[in-house]
Amino acid sequence: MVNDGKDEAGSDYSGSTGRKESNNANGGSVGRRSFLKATGAGAVATGVAGCLGGGGDEESVPLSDRDEIRVGVLAPAPSDNPIGASIANGAKLAAQEINDNDGIEGTEMSVIVKDTKEQPQTGTEKYGELIRDENVDMTTGVFTSEVLLAIMDDMPGAETVHMTTGAATPDASARVKNNYEENKYHFRTGPINAHHLGENIVDFVDAKADDLGWESVAVLVEDYTWTEPVSNVLDDTLSDTGINIEMSRRYASGTEDFNPIYNDVEDSGADAAVIAMAHTGTPAVIQWAQQQRPFEFGGIHVPMQLPSYYGAVEGASAYGVTQNSATPTAEVTDTTVPFAEAYNENYDSYPVYTGYISYDAVNQYASVVESKGDIGADPVIDGLENSSYTGTIGTVEYYGKDHEFAHDVKYEQGLVWPVFQQWQPNDDGTGSQEVIFPDNLATADYQTPPWI
Amino acid sequence: MVDILQFVILSTIRSGLYALIAIGFTLIFGVGGVLNLAHGASIILGAYAAYYASAAGLGVAGSMLAALVVPAVFGSLLYLFVIRRFEHEPIMVMILTLVTSVAVEQLVIELAGTQAKRVPQFLSGNMTIGGTSVQYNLIAVFALSWAIIIGLFLFINYTKPGKGILATSMSAKGASLVGIKSDRINLATWAIAGALAGIAGMALGSQLGATYHMGRNPLVLSFSIVVIGGIGSIRGSVVGAYLIGFLEVGVIQFVSSDLTGIAPLVVLILVLLVKPEGLFGRELAE
Repeated sequence: MVNDGKDEAGSDYSGSTGRKESNNANGGSVGRRSFLKATGAGAVATGVAGCLGGGGDEESVPLSDRDEIRVGVLAPAPSDNPIGASIANGAKLAAQEINDNDGIEGTEMSVIVKDTKEQPQTGTEKYGELIRDENVDMTTGVFTSEVLLAIMDDMPGAETVHMTTGAATPDASARVKNNYEENKYHFRTGPINAHHLGENIVDFVDAKADDLGWESVAVLVEDYTWTEPVSNVLDDTLSDTGINIEMSRRYASGTEDFNPIYNDVEDSGADAAVIAMAHTGTPAVIQWAQQQRPFEFGGIHVPMQLPSYYGAVEGASAYGVTQNSATPTAEVTDTTVPFAEAYNENYDSYPVYTGYISYDAVNQYASVVESKGDIGADPVIDGLENSSYTGTIGTVEYYGKDHEFAHDVKYEQGLVWPVFQQWQPNDDGTGSQEVIFPDNLATADYQTPPWI
Repeated sequence: MVDILQFVILSTIRSGLYALIAIGFTLIFGVGGVLNLAHGASIILGAYAAYYASAAGLGVAGSMLAALVVPAVFGSLLYLFVIRRFEHEPIMVMILTLVTSVAVEQLVIELAGTQAKRVPQFLSGNMTIGGTSVQYNLIAVFALSWAIIIGLFLFINYTKPGKGILATSMSAKGASLVGIKSDRINLATWAIAGALAGIAGMALGSQLGATYHMGRNPLVLSFSIVVIGGIGSIRGSVVGAYLIGFLEVGVIQFVSSDLTGIAPLVVLILVLLVKPEGLFGRELAE
């Protein structure tokens, strides 16, 4: 279904020779990359290349000098993890469509996918391989925050633009702000960062609590690094919406038995559990549904974002609500649904949120390269900083270098403003992801679980 | 008052599930004198067999049957082709069953993926007992647990094959001298233990969902329960299960739910230090 790290999007590229030749035409660039290659280990390369002073040698690489642009993709288990598959396939589909339209000013794109296995060490190795061996011009992907932070250590040496499409940690943008020259290569096309994920939940509750009939809530957040900013925002601002917070708990990572927690939620009398769950989401929703707990269930639930999830859990996700970048039927922009359909046609399944974001990242990069006529890191960074690109998830713009979330996608109504979906059962036993917020994109009204 | 009542109800129900989980483990040790580290694998197979049977439209009865048969066959094959050759080498059995357990987990990952699966409940719905909401499914698991405990007790004490198991557990040599074929008895024990673990897997899965690693905690739990009760003692295992069930629910309810799973381990260490033979000694074997 996805490539194994070597296949490409619609190009007949066969090895790295062509790229090397084109590098030879680009002065400093080849020197740096050859040096990186010669050092062998990415970590060593990083340290030494960093000492070379970074920047400068990537000031300008005219597009007209190149016969190919190489995109490196870092995805977790792209062969069997839907999140990783969506990253890889979203990027490939973007490149394929660009190539079908005569490339970028005639220059074709190729995509090389590497598996991070969600491990920082593996992520660093694969990132090194993309830079050193594959000579990529930009990298994208990365789902796990810990992997992202690990490869960011190597970005100053690589001097290559990276557009994150899965990890949400605001530590990445803090690094860009605090040390711009070293970390300016990093952009987060999506998802909105973990701080904004918290704000997004608060905005949803603020706008919809009355409609949903939620007067009181219990906050349940899994205790992982990614949820720390979410918890901070919820603790600080959720009560400002006027809703009563009956209990708030960061439960232990790896929790499998939710009975004690759900007993407490029941005892608290909360109308709904406001949740932030990724790793522990499936047992949580299965137990909520099977035990018909007398409270509603919504917030951020990463597994519920998967279009195939309803079948995978035999309908246990019915009536659960989660934030999502887009759904296959939500017309977030004019390109959202066509992309989802094209993806389904190519890969026999609908994409997860990372697919939309990766597709947008590659397209935005291509549009910047095209407008600049240059693939050098500095011109591209300048282009991305000033870019306003309308893709499948909304209009992608980035916070400036002095903003606390430097180079993160802007979370703002009219730009990127994620949807909230509810899984609703159909008559034929299947389920569909119906958007219930924002109102202008809603595809259905919210349904209260029938057992409540 | 409501708190205490809730504590008693939840503890009683949870202990029933724990007894069901531990009983197959203790049976194998009692009879064969070996530690079956593939006990968790049988639990996994039971839960997934129930899941697939349900997905195939076989209903709850079909799921229960699958949860009993698949792990029983697994237990039998494991005994016939692996354990039988090494039944007098407990360390080898531990290593082999551990490896088998890991292999089963990998197989489940390959076949079913890493996401949890929904296992059918024995009964759906809830009722209120003394102000505490209790699921019918938990009550069904509790009833099933006692039905199996009583059934096993009657089987071992009042049927010929059961008496054969009892005799073999007391002395394999003595049993063979009076014409009991220990091979058959051991095979039956592995099959029964597999079936019991399988139905425990379905019970556990109906509560928590089925995952490829769902056998790990029950294995540790079984260790704790049978050590407390006295390794090999069915009666001791039931008492151990209730002791741990009450203790765990107490810790969760009155201290913190983050400490789930800690209580059995603490008790395990204390019992090993203070009364290593357990509460009831090694009943079956003596």
